[in-house]
Amino acid sequence: MANKPSIKNRVRELREQHGSMTQAELGLEIGVTRQTVIAIEQNRYSPSLESAFRIAHVFGVGLEDVFSWEE
Amino acid sequence: MPFREKSAWVMSLALLSAGIFYFIAVAVIWNESGQLAHPMLPLVIVYTICLTIIAALGHAIIAALAPKEANAPADERELKIIYSAGHYSSHIFAVGTLLSLGWYLFSGDGDLLFYTVFASFMAGQIMEYAIQIFLYRTSI
Repeated sequence: MANKPSIKNRVRELREQHGSMTQAELGLEIGVTRQTVIAIEQNRYSPSLESAFRIAHVFGVGLEDVFSWEE
Repeated sequence: MPFREKSAWVMSLALLSAGIFYFIAVAVIWNESGQLAHPMLPLVIVYTICLTIIAALGHAIIAALAPKEANAPADERELKIIYSAGHYSSHIFAVGTLLSLGWYLFSGDGDLLFYTVFASFMAGQIMEYAIQIFLYRTSI
């Protein structure tokens, strides 16, 4: 049986690079709660494609610069 | 703690309190009369009023503490949690109802059927909010 794949992200790192943007501020920008941003950063929740694009757009980077697939 | 988790706590507390009140009242009547009482509308009305008052008061308090969060629509993760909890709790209600109907086939006791289906409904509702709290705190 194949190992369970997971999606990793650099949201926390990018947020800190962007003038220490808070989780609440990022949540407001992409339309989710602070708790959802926390869950994304801790890899407990994979955001929808739309939210993933919004996050990448906020940081001005491509989707693959934020999210990566790890076997 | 997000507003919706607080809301789930309020609803769990309201449902648990009203449910305990209801079944204690039924047990007291059962104890006094020596037999299972017919389902009584006034008792169901009191249960509903208790539930409504606790839920409304609880929500008024948590909404006053975080009005902005209270007015915001549920986000994608919260919706996923709400749908998942509803899905699992519906199984609890369904199993409880099926067991109640099965029991009725053997006992033929309609009063008992009412109480067991009502209890299944309450258990399903309480579990829905309990699962929401669990999901808010752990996975998803």
